[in-house]
Amino acid sequence: MRKNSRSIGCLFLLTVSAILLVGALPQPTWAAEGAALAGRVVDFQQQPVRRARIALYLNGEEEPYVEGESQRDGTFVLDLPDEPVDAVRLEISHPHFRTATWKATWADLERLNDGSAVRLPDIVLERQLTVGFWIATLTFLAVLLFIATERLHSTMAALLGTAVILGISLVGRPINEQLFIIDFEQAIEYVDFNVVFLVMGMMIVIGVIEETGIFQWMAYQAYRLSQGRVWLLVASLMLLTSVASALLDNVTTMLLVAPITLQIALTLGIDPLALLMPEVLASNVGGISTLIGTPTNILIGSYADITFNDFLVNLTPGVLLAQVALTVYVLLVYRKQYRAASAAASPALLAQLEENARITQPDKLRKAGSVFLGIIVLFILGEQFHLVPAVTAILGAVAMLLVVRADIEQMLRVVDWTTLMFFIALFIVVGAVQEVGLISYIAAGIRLLVGDNLIAATLVVVWAGAILSGVIANIPFTAAMLPVVGFLTRSLPGASNKVLFYSLSIGAAMGGNSSLIGASANIVTAGIAERAGYPITYRTFLKIGLPAMAITVTVGTAWLFIHF
Amino acid sequence: MGKILCATRGGEASYRTQDAAIALARERGDSLIFLYVVDTHFLDRTERAVRPDVVAEEMARMGQFLLTMAQERAQAQGVQAEVRIRRGEVLEELKAAAREEGADLVILGRPGEEESAFRQVDLEAVAREIEEETGVETRIV
Repeated sequence: MRKNSRSIGCLFLLTVSAILLVGALPQPTWAAEGAALAGRVVDFQQQPVRRARIALYLNGEEEPYVEGESQRDGTFVLDLPDEPVDAVRLEISHPHFRTATWKATWADLERLNDGSAVRLPDIVLERQLTVGFWIATLTFLAVLLFIATERLHSTMAALLGTAVILGISLVGRPINEQLFIIDFEQAIEYVDFNVVFLVMGMMIVIGVIEETGIFQWMAYQAYRLSQGRVWLLVASLMLLTSVASALLDNVTTMLLVAPITLQIALTLGIDPLALLMPEVLASNVGGISTLIGTPTNILIGSYADITFNDFLVNLTPGVLLAQVALTVYVLLVYRKQYRAASAAASPALLAQLEENARITQPDKLRKAGSVFLGIIVLFILGEQFHLVPAVTAILGAVAMLLVVRADIEQMLRVVDWTTLMFFIALFIVVGAVQEVGLISYIAAGIRLLVGDNLIAATLVVVWAGAILSGVIANIPFTAAMLPVVGFLTRSLPGASNKVLFYSLSIGAAMGGNSSLIGASANIVTAGIAERAGYPITYRTFLKIGLPAMAITVTVGTAWLFIHF
Repeated sequence: MGKILCATRGGEASYRTQDAAIALARERGDSLIFLYVVDTHFLDRTERAVRPDVVAEEMARMGQFLLTMAQERAQAQGVQAEVRIRRGEVLEELKAAAREEGADLVILGRPGEEESAFRQVDLEAVAREIEEETGVETRIV
């Protein structure tokens, strides 16, 4: 029975991989034959407008001859009858735009009557502020507020936002077109399943690795090898958490490393916060260096088609520089505590520490380690075979389950469906504000502010991201900023190298260091510390974290300017 | 001979509580039990995927370490103390431990910092609840 469950689970994951892989391949395009009108509907930022209703009127008739919808890329093709026509008119409408009209010229009519296709110039629709715009905007702000103030669980807040938006759209539209925000099909189109499956695959991979005890063992080795030199121990622990956060994720890393770090600190007779704070700061910075290190990078990578290797080449060196600066900073800030260290722990405590840091499942570690290495290689080489990261993660999860022979039911319980639901609901809420035009207005505002100056745009994206991430959750912030940064990348001269997406990555993740609520890793570390009797208060975190954020973001920005 | 149950964690505030419990045990000739409760409810505050079972295991090990420290503290003051680890919600586990261990006195520590989860007012309510539900005298020291 258990074997069957495992096979079914693996089969499911393989099927998902296949679907994602096929989805990633280029799809054939349809070409019109005979007389036809083809065109593209865009907004004032030259962004494609999908699902615009295109009605074709012939010979002055009141009823349309044919109707169609613009596709995802804003394009449309409408066939004309074989018989000659005297007049052709298109009416392009969309609930969030003013209706536009196009009329065929004599030259167009001549070509159409010859049986040729006519390619129209881009049809630019003008946005209009509907009641739906205000409802979607207020709902989005309410979701951010609920998450920031912890009045609701983040998933509940996002689901509530989705329910309000879809409920008003579907129930309200028949009453008043102004109430329309987004329909269900559109909402689903906004869900980035590459992100959802990448997160899910990595949850399974991490779920296997985290029970092996490897992180605790490595932290203990850092303690042992430093031989009482606290500066070396701190630097080693920061490096460990940074690398682990880059390869797994920073919350898991801190949850596993914080308890053993606390014990190491007590063994050395120093304040545990003097080790925990540097670790969590390093963890938030280190996660930025890879595609899979932070959820914000996963979002950015998927949206902007930035690969695992792109992150390694374009961000990792900058992250390393920021880590060096961060290490120097914490060694200075905590120098008194480090000097006060002593090795006065009893043999019983040392034995306890060693016991708590042992690798619990060496056989599993060997197998899981090999598979994980393979996954990283696949992330690096995968782009050569058009392997999207979600497929790599799902393949890795399948391999992990097969090789380690983990219980599929237990492993599927490891998948945090609440988190996945959070992402899905968040994509819909952000999709709604994108649909009604809020994101376009923000993008246009920033564009107006920075003009054609890429340096100014980089500074705005990095620092706005860094400051706002300390106040509001960085995942919804990043999700909302992606189309904004996308617009800036397309419209600003010299931004096609995606520097602004890397800026967003640096700002959103390093900004999390500025406050206790800035990153999930901070919150879980504070939770563990509090349960050990060493609470990390908001003020304590701010005092150490805010300057750390300023230093690392400055170094990160400097790296962007040097590299790009 | 009575039995004192002392809920503990670590840090300066807990050391004061431990010392008070040790002094009471010596004075009354009671046996002393240090209790650490593994409570992973803080994980609810993150939207990220975590394995509560693995985290709870790590925290139990950390708790064992903290309890060993408390035990050594008692030993240094001439009192032999036992240690217990329980998993769950702190208040419920405290009440359950008080009943199961047959404690005569439960010792709770006064919060060391204003931001502590156990604010003074909450703590007094907790002490009352333990007394009412278990019939075991509960002191805040």
